[in-house]
Amino acid sequence: MTGNRKSRLDRRTLLKGTSAAAIGIIGAPLIARGQAKPIKIGMPTILSGRVAQLGASSRNGVMLEVEKVNAAGGLAGRPIEMVIRDSKGAPQEAARVARELVNSDGCEILIDAEASSGAFAVHEVARDLKVLCLHTNSETSSLTADPKLRIPNAFRVARQGIHDSIVGGGYAAKIAEAKKLTKWMTCSPDYAYGRDTTAQFIEYLKHFKKDIEVVGEAWPKLFQPDYTEVVTKILQTKPQAMYSCLWGGDLTSFIDQGNIYALFTQIETFAVNMADYTALTVVKNLPKGIHSGNRYIKTFPKTAANAAWGDAYRAKYKEYPTNWAWQNATVIQFLAAAAKKVNSADGAKLAEALRGLTIESPFGTDGKLTLRAEDQTLVGYAIGWGTTIPAEPYVPETTAGDWKQITELEAEWKKKNNYT
Amino acid sequence: MRRSAVRDLLIGAVVLAALVLLPVLWPSKALIDFVIRGAALALFATSLNLLVGYGGLVSFGHGMFFGVGAYSFGLLMQRTGMPIPVAFVVTIVVTAAVALLVGAICVRLKEIYFAFLTLAFQMFLHSLIILWVPLTGGDQGLLGGIPRPPFFGIDLGDQRQLYIAACVLLVAGLLLMRHIVESPFGFTLRMIRDNAARTGFLGVEIFRIKLVAFVLAGVFAGIGGVIMSLFVSGAYPEFAYWTMSGEGIFMIMLGGITTFLGPTIGTVILLLLNDFVTRFTEHHGLMLGAIILLFALGLRRGITDFLVDHWRRTRTPAATRRGH
Amino acid sequence: MDLSSLANCLGSPACVVTQVTSGLIIGMLLFLVAAGLTLIFGVLKVINFTHGAFYMLGAYFALTIFQLTGSYVATLLGAALATALVGLAFERFFMSRVYGQNILMQLLVCYGFILIFDDSVKIIWGPEFKSMGMPSTFQVPPLFIAGGVVPPFYLFLVGVTVAIGIALWLVIERTRFGKTVRAAAHNPSMVSALGVNTGILYGLVFALGGLLAGFAGALAAPVRSLTPGMGFSILIESFIVTVIGGMGSIVGAFVGSLLIGLIRTFGSVGFPLFTEGLMYLFMVVVLIAKPTGLFGKEVA
Repeated sequence: MTGNRKSRLDRRTLLKGTSAAAIGIIGAPLIARGQAKPIKIGMPTILSGRVAQLGASSRNGVMLEVEKVNAAGGLAGRPIEMVIRDSKGAPQEAARVARELVNSDGCEILIDAEASSGAFAVHEVARDLKVLCLHTNSETSSLTADPKLRIPNAFRVARQGIHDSIVGGGYAAKIAEAKKLTKWMTCSPDYAYGRDTTAQFIEYLKHFKKDIEVVGEAWPKLFQPDYTEVVTKILQTKPQAMYSCLWGGDLTSFIDQGNIYALFTQIETFAVNMADYTALTVVKNLPKGIHSGNRYIKTFPKTAANAAWGDAYRAKYKEYPTNWAWQNATVIQFLAAAAKKVNSADGAKLAEALRGLTIESPFGTDGKLTLRAEDQTLVGYAIGWGTTIPAEPYVPETTAGDWKQITELEAEWKKKNNYT
Repeated sequence: MRRSAVRDLLIGAVVLAALVLLPVLWPSKALIDFVIRGAALALFATSLNLLVGYGGLVSFGHGMFFGVGAYSFGLLMQRTGMPIPVAFVVTIVVTAAVALLVGAICVRLKEIYFAFLTLAFQMFLHSLIILWVPLTGGDQGLLGGIPRPPFFGIDLGDQRQLYIAACVLLVAGLLLMRHIVESPFGFTLRMIRDNAARTGFLGVEIFRIKLVAFVLAGVFAGIGGVIMSLFVSGAYPEFAYWTMSGEGIFMIMLGGITTFLGPTIGTVILLLLNDFVTRFTEHHGLMLGAIILLFALGLRRGITDFLVDHWRRTRTPAATRRGH
Repeated sequence: MDLSSLANCLGSPACVVTQVTSGLIIGMLLFLVAAGLTLIFGVLKVINFTHGAFYMLGAYFALTIFQLTGSYVATLLGAALATALVGLAFERFFMSRVYGQNILMQLLVCYGFILIFDDSVKIIWGPEFKSMGMPSTFQVPPLFIAGGVVPPFYLFLVGVTVAIGIALWLVIERTRFGKTVRAAAHNPSMVSALGVNTGILYGLVFALGGLLAGFAGALAAPVRSLTPGMGFSILIESFIVTVIGGMGSIVGAFVGSLLIGLIRTFGSVGFPLFTEGLMYLFMVVVLIAKPTGLFGKEVA
């Protein structure tokens, strides 16, 4: 029985592969006729394993925009051809795939849609091969903040941990003031992103409200299936409020397991990664009133453009967009704008144009997004916090962060970390 | 014995020359990358087969030495600024020391218990790497690139020179391992594999022989790790994870454990499978799984084992039949 | 390290009760998986590395059955039976071909199937994580026992698992089937000489292992998120459990599961960043002191 099913699936995949190849062979000359040679963009990402959703939704985000750009004539007349490949989430594999994309597939630009550790590995490849590289999923601040790591040909088109922490700290401090929450606890995944983001959140929480006391910390492993010992530890510690940067399936497991201990009715919960449709729609019994940062949500920014983009995405892919989706859509929008500006698809010229570039975007706080010149990273994106409800629109109201304040505090943070 | 050593050296020299000439005839950056990775993993797989194929010591934790090699070399280069050859030698010493310590405890155990204990040690080491963030960078690995100051006019920052260095290390490593398995020590190791008790009666110190084999295998795995760390310009906890050990096992099982070059061929097969199947389909798990089953249930042994068996059978059909 | 917290916890009955019960909860699910693993090893001398994939299949079967029927009882039974069938088919068609071969060859077959099962789940159910949701019966506030918090669902989980553990022990020790199984573990050629079809027996042992793993998956589905590859971490943990308890010993698997559960819960208080390392350290110590595990016998 198993054998039968397997071989049938094999054949089906094969068929799918061949038909796709056939379209590629027939389709390519049609596009090429009378046009410049296509520009190949390589994209290493995670398409298998526990976070395969990251790759799937990044690919969707990119393809949605690539279609638009190609319909409008491509990058300076050259149609975009995406070469998207699975790194299985292993950094050495990400490095290998990135090199291969450039060296043997002839990709002139890399969109690095890896999670953090893979992103650092691809960053080294970009340093080595001097190819234009755009990180779209790594939120680890040091990737662009640390001048020792910085290279002129790498940009980050993604949100960033430090920004989230500043806005989160400010928002949480206001709630803490109103509800008199002084005893806090943290519960975050034990890896670089979790540790850094949590430390920064607490730092800014204390910055905005002095009398905060952290009474305990819990550090579940990344991808840990069972959170019972974590939940009971929190119950033992009895904090008034809790911060967590668990995400994806880990966050939903934690919520499902916390629910049966009635954890969230006793403790004011701030889960920065809650307001992502992937998590919101999966949790069956979403507790009311969990505070969360925005990941991607149709209601924030509350503009027609944003809602329309969310609907278009959903109509095309029959699923909700994610934070990864908007970031990867944005990278194509930036490339298109840069190519228009310099009328070229050359990597070095594009990099020059991208530095400091501002574009119109549904994802900007004021309808605009900027790749800040000094550290080549995305700023001005919609960032805010709100509370969740268990049904659409999930997060009815979001309090927007103030980019002026973010920029000031970020500058101080950089100075303190010797990042200047 | 002497004659075969000379023959091995000659073959090694020819292969090395061919490898060095290869990118001249076929200038492809992808090929260079492939061979560098292949060199790292072939050394790793062959060293594992030193234990599995020649010593009968099935280790589930061999990846630990690949990781130790990569991390110690990377850390030495990042932190101390010593010249590459010195760091290389120090890395060998460090790997040997770790292998001696772990081996002294593990090789006393028999069969699967040896396998379990090596696995447990490896996972323990992996947890340490993850935990010790200030030294190892934790789950992020060693970031910021591994510096490669030129030495003796060699610049390993240049991919083509790194390619030549990797080829030299590969051929030299394989020749050394070949020498080891063909030496009296190698024969004693095989005797222990086939019948430990009888070998013990002959007055052989089984523990010592096994331990030496364990340390040697660890060192060559560590050299593989050094090459890999230079290739990716970093070191990651995955290098010391059980998946690394698993990959080594698949390489030797695909290539064959009874021939010396089986693991190297297995490495090439697995790399090609990995690289091409992932390109061809997103459902590479399904494809790779089916191919693995084809090997395990169809051939029932590694490819070189199969070929050697086949060759023997066709050459001396009568002898084989009598053997049955 | 946070030894003062650990000391505080051990000094407070409420903390001890809560942590011990959470140790039980973690340990009991682990036991269901580990029991199958150790049973298969005991009889067939095969380490079934696909066992984690069985657990994953059980959880996904549970998801679908629960969506279709809405009954958790039907879900538990259906998922367990379906996984048992997978186990049976896997043994009869594939695993049985590599008995008596190199352990590495068995590992290879299992690895091939882990890849195939993971990818199949991804194709059938999708790459994104899923959550089954808590059956409405258990959507009730937690109980307070001796100052500790205990959710009713976990009470059910532990109760059912302990019952299964006892039933399993009785079947192995007291029934004819159990006697045959034990005899086969000891001397397979004698059993087949007595007219028992060892092929069917081996298939049944695998089916039983699948049944337990599938049941564990269905028990976990309401509280753990489902992803392709979710069987992996439980495979590693149950592997540790069986090694510590002794390969082939059901009692050993039970004790090992409890120990790992307790190491996790008390470790998370005392050594929050090193609970995983603690488990491996424990495994190293047991293997050095007693290679066959706490309750294991020398493998022939």
